[in-house]
Amino acid sequence: MQETPEHPPEATVSVHLRLNGIPVTIEVSPNAILLDVLREQLGLTGTKKGCDHGQCGACTVHLDGRAINACLRLAVMCEGQAITTIEGLANEGLAAGDALHPVQQAFLDHDAFQCGYCSPGQIMSAVALLEDRRVAGDIGTVREAMSGNLCRCGAYQNILAAIQDARLRLHGQEGGDDA
Amino acid sequence: MSATPEHHVVGRRTPRVDGEAKLTGHADYTVDHRLVGMLHGYPVPASIAHGRLEALSLDAARAMPGVVDILHHGHFPDLHRSPNSMRDGDAVSEVRLPFEDNRIHYHGQYVALVVAETFEQARAAAFRVAPRYRQEPGAMPGLAASDAEGSEAGEYTRGEPELAFGLAPVILDETYTMAAESHVPLEPHATLAEWREQDQRLVVHESTQGVFYQRNALARIFDLPEERVEVISHYIGSGFGNKLFMWPHAVATAAAARMLGRPVRTVLPRQQDMMTTGNRPASRQRLRLGAELDGTLVSIQHDSLTETSMVDHYVDACGGVTTSAYACDNVATRQRILPVHHGTPCPMRAPGEVSGLFALESAIDELAVALDMDPLALRLKNYADQDPQRGLPWSSKHLDRCLEGAAERFGWAARDPRIASMVDGDEIIGQGMASATWFAGRQPCAARVTLLADGTVVAACGTQDIGTGTYTIVAQTVAELTGVPIERVEVQLGETSLPAGPLSGGSMNTASTLPAVAAATRDALAALKAVATGPGGDFAGLAPESLGVESGALVAEGRQASFAEILAHRRLADVTGEGNAAPGDERREYSFRSFGAHFVEVRWDPGISRLRVARVVSSIDVGRAINPVAARNQVEGAIVMGIGMGLLEGLDYDPRDARLVNANVSDYRIPVHADMPEIDVELLDYPDYRFNELGARGIGEIGLTGVAPAIANAVYHATGKRLRDLPITVEKLLASDEAPTGL
Amino acid sequence: MRTFAFARADSVERAVERRQGEPASAFVAGGTTLLDLVKLDVMRPSRVIDINALPLKSVERLHDDRLRIGALVTNTDLAYHPDVLADHPLLSQAILAGASTQVRNMATTGGNLMQRTRCPYFRDPTAACNKREPGSGCDARDGFNRMHAVLGGSDQCVAVHPSDMCVALAAIGATLTLQGPNGEREIDVADFHRLPGATPHLEHDLDDELIVAVTLAPPLKPLGTAYVKRRDRAAYEFALASAGAMLSLDEDLIGEARLALGGVATKPWRCHEAEALLAGKRAEIAAFEAAADVALADAEPLSHNAFKIPLARQAIVRALRDAARVAREDNA
Repeated sequence: MQETPEHPPEATVSVHLRLNGIPVTIEVSPNAILLDVLREQLGLTGTKKGCDHGQCGACTVHLDGRAINACLRLAVMCEGQAITTIEGLANEGLAAGDALHPVQQAFLDHDAFQCGYCSPGQIMSAVALLEDRRVAGDIGTVREAMSGNLCRCGAYQNILAAIQDARLRLHGQEGGDDA
Repeated sequence: MSATPEHHVVGRRTPRVDGEAKLTGHADYTVDHRLVGMLHGYPVPASIAHGRLEALSLDAARAMPGVVDILHHGHFPDLHRSPNSMRDGDAVSEVRLPFEDNRIHYHGQYVALVVAETFEQARAAAFRVAPRYRQEPGAMPGLAASDAEGSEAGEYTRGEPELAFGLAPVILDETYTMAAESHVPLEPHATLAEWREQDQRLVVHESTQGVFYQRNALARIFDLPEERVEVISHYIGSGFGNKLFMWPHAVATAAAARMLGRPVRTVLPRQQDMMTTGNRPASRQRLRLGAELDGTLVSIQHDSLTETSMVDHYVDACGGVTTSAYACDNVATRQRILPVHHGTPCPMRAPGEVSGLFALESAIDELAVALDMDPLALRLKNYADQDPQRGLPWSSKHLDRCLEGAAERFGWAARDPRIASMVDGDEIIGQGMASATWFAGRQPCAARVTLLADGTVVAACGTQDIGTGTYTIVAQTVAELTGVPIERVEVQLGETSLPAGPLSGGSMNTASTLPAVAAATRDALAALKAVATGPGGDFAGLAPESLGVESGALVAEGRQASFAEILAHRRLADVTGEGNAAPGDERREYSFRSFGAHFVEVRWDPGISRLRVARVVSSIDVGRAINPVAARNQVEGAIVMGIGMGLLEGLDYDPRDARLVNANVSDYRIPVHADMPEIDVELLDYPDYRFNELGARGIGEIGLTGVAPAIANAVYHATGKRLRDLPITVEKLLASDEAPTGL
Repeated sequence: MRTFAFARADSVERAVERRQGEPASAFVAGGTTLLDLVKLDVMRPSRVIDINALPLKSVERLHDDRLRIGALVTNTDLAYHPDVLADHPLLSQAILAGASTQVRNMATTGGNLMQRTRCPYFRDPTAACNKREPGSGCDARDGFNRMHAVLGGSDQCVAVHPSDMCVALAAIGATLTLQGPNGEREIDVADFHRLPGATPHLEHDLDDELIVAVTLAPPLKPLGTAYVKRRDRAAYEFALASAGAMLSLDEDLIGEARLALGGVATKPWRCHEAEALLAGKRAEIAAFEAAADVALADAEPLSHNAFKIPLARQAIVRALRDAARVAREDNA
């Protein structure tokens, strides 16, 4: 990445992203937060704002495949990076399609939500968790790894069931014993 | 018990019809709506809890980029207060209008609303608004900091409770306290208001549990006819009570939209959401029980004190549950309220009763210890076969089945009642139980069902789905009565342009909404039959009542014609039915309640003073579960919330000046995934047809009642420490060195 | 949220150069502390310098076998790094006991060292806080101070250093490499964080410098480690009290012990006296309790946090006990 000249506060900066598989260029202020850019500028409102301080996980997106809190990242910091939101999980593109990712399907099958507001974040965390083979698949580890996503409706039992079911669908293996 | 036959949709496990929308990010919550030319509001919260706003310096903020206007006491339209009537459906959470005067009554009270072109600009400018306050001494940080007794807010007496208490051979007299709790719906409160100058209409998107209440209140406040105010709430990121009635941010935002002639959206930042949109007030409850040696309760006296704010009179009636919980002839409850410098409290999931049951079910457990009785046996001993308050039979009560069934699944019989007697490695196992109960009520409801020529059905009702599954159970009801597959039923909720629907509150939604939807469906089918039997119809000449309904078709004489065919043959686009339902005379004959039991296992590691809930087994009797999947989810989620109440949650106010110091979801601790225990919920299936034709009571709240006392009772079993103050945090476990008893 | 200028640095030297003489400039790596606090108007940088393009993202094994961690290695990558798991399981355990998956994915090694306190009065710009605004007073000392420090506090400040990772670093021993305008220097991690004293706003020994690497001391062998973190929730919460322990055992005698505390002190708290007391002692509860008493001898409670002292004592004893168990298994 090239070092850029300093952007003054009032300037807008061009940022090149691969967003849900599509190359896009956005113009943002230096202090624009990724979450707000996704929601307000790009209209990708599936990513939710619950606390705006990295405390609830409703804004979880994938940055180069890792789950992050979009509320704690400047959009300008994402130059050249790949971002996936809930809209792009099952389909490439900037508008959500109708197809369901296996984790979304598992959430539906297990009723792993109530109000649904935390669900996009839960699902993004679950997908990243299932793709990160460093993280063990036992229930204790999964519970800790998912603890950055608050669900005030308390649907954790069904969320856990959905994740472990999706693990089977995706990897064809049992999670470990309860730790 | 009734099994659900294959062809029935009601009562069958049904995936939510709004599931795909929620899980793909399509669902349009209030915060997701944007309008062309929309401005962003960001409130400025008072940094003191008690005093006066002396000056407001706005120059720096006004000079910030993008700032369009700043509303405040000196710059706000003259509005009316809402009459705040439940009967007229215009209740609000805080009666005081925003910026009404310069008094500050609680930390976070709005002193201004910055309106700017973008959210960032509004927030940046809000931090540049410079208020000057005169703080006044004597701020009330909460009832725990005071000996004040508050003012009377209701009482109930039957028999001679004082006298019976004095004569009872075994008595208990203890005080139970609870911290104030925050609802923390994951979607913050939000308003998007648009003033349509051309037709003088106010259109408001709001994350609300009651679109009609908000519409009516806005109409009164802005002096508009109700039909010129529209409130929309398609998806709500949960509410738990604090989105029942409108808060001042909505009034300020609507006023801004009208003043500026542009749509304005205000999404409360989490900190302000927790400061200004209500709480379950802290409570102090004194329980006096008197019993015979065999456990027969002869006296229950329940004195409650709960907080209200300086600007409203909110009563969290803790004793409401005590009047009918046990078969006892001598019962008194007294309720008092104490104004403190907090934002106004409001109903939070099972308001009053969940606090009341913490005290009552803890006290019953203590009485069992004093009597050397099994707490389960003590509860059965005092089982109320009929409503002891009203002297009427219960419509349907199977608490005994709940208690016994859950006990068996839990393995209660294997419990060693001696304290700290069950050890597993570093941990001591504690087991406790408590009863659950919540009233069953109904509200009036109207609904409309339209059968369309394309074979689909549209059901419409101005109620809301706050995550409980209303969209799905409405679709199930229509599918059940029409035989149309559920995929072809569209449900429209959350708009005041639809027939007037009830609040999503009090666990009353299912029982209120579905009878109206069923009536509307039947009305639509009657209209269709009239079409089919009319001239040129598929069943021309037959009597309408001779037609049956099967799988989206009308049938008679061995023939059938689909709804679509019937409409097509008459060249009709659709037929529509209307339905209404309201509570009837059933209340004169029966008392209606739901019941349940929670059995809790805690693990206590005394070496590191770590307490966790390991296992919860519950049985719940709510009549018929329309959608057992969503119903079970409600109870499981309520149990998680109960763990928060029992072990984690409390709003912390600075003891000096009543400032709220943990208004965020890091320091205010709601349970995370790792706090979840093993949960085993059984839903009994005894349809309550005395309550309504679907046999359903409600399930949103009962799951929370009884969880916290069951935890506290299990903690006692594990530790010998009787903790009467929630949440049961580590400092209380370390500090309480009350000698174990009952060994 | 205030506006600021933004620049990306492509070399350590350029990053430092951009920062020089601009105290209101801030480096951003993970952003989890900075942006959180900018939104609260607690940190007010005029310029933010993105250092994520710098080549500081690897964990290397040096010729003397020590591990050198680039400042931009994320908490997640560090916790799961095979060399870290092999040599310094305590570091992995401590990191995974902190924050959430998402925050660990974003937060970096250097950023974690620079983490700010969670004191609610620090985080509220309308409250009095000497750390945020020198001379304004401390609302915590007589306010709601359940989460505050019982060790290392002063009249001016009792804010807790919130990091779990730093507790492990304190126990393990580490050297930080700092790059400044005048070149590189090294500093012991124990000297990096300052006690608040009369200047709680000066949190680190940094002078226009950027942390570029953390080099871990060689591991004890045979090694037992344990990180015991006590908090209200089961996850995703800062510590009420935590203890990181490392022990080497010779038969049943403690060879060398290392002990550090989190959640109770104004900086990551190494317990040298307790360690000295443990050396050569039999690895048993009595010795652990004696060490805990020494470690907490100077602890001073505030109005709402007296419980932290017995809780920390329990965390210490449990961490030492479990570390000894692991070391025994290692021996076996």
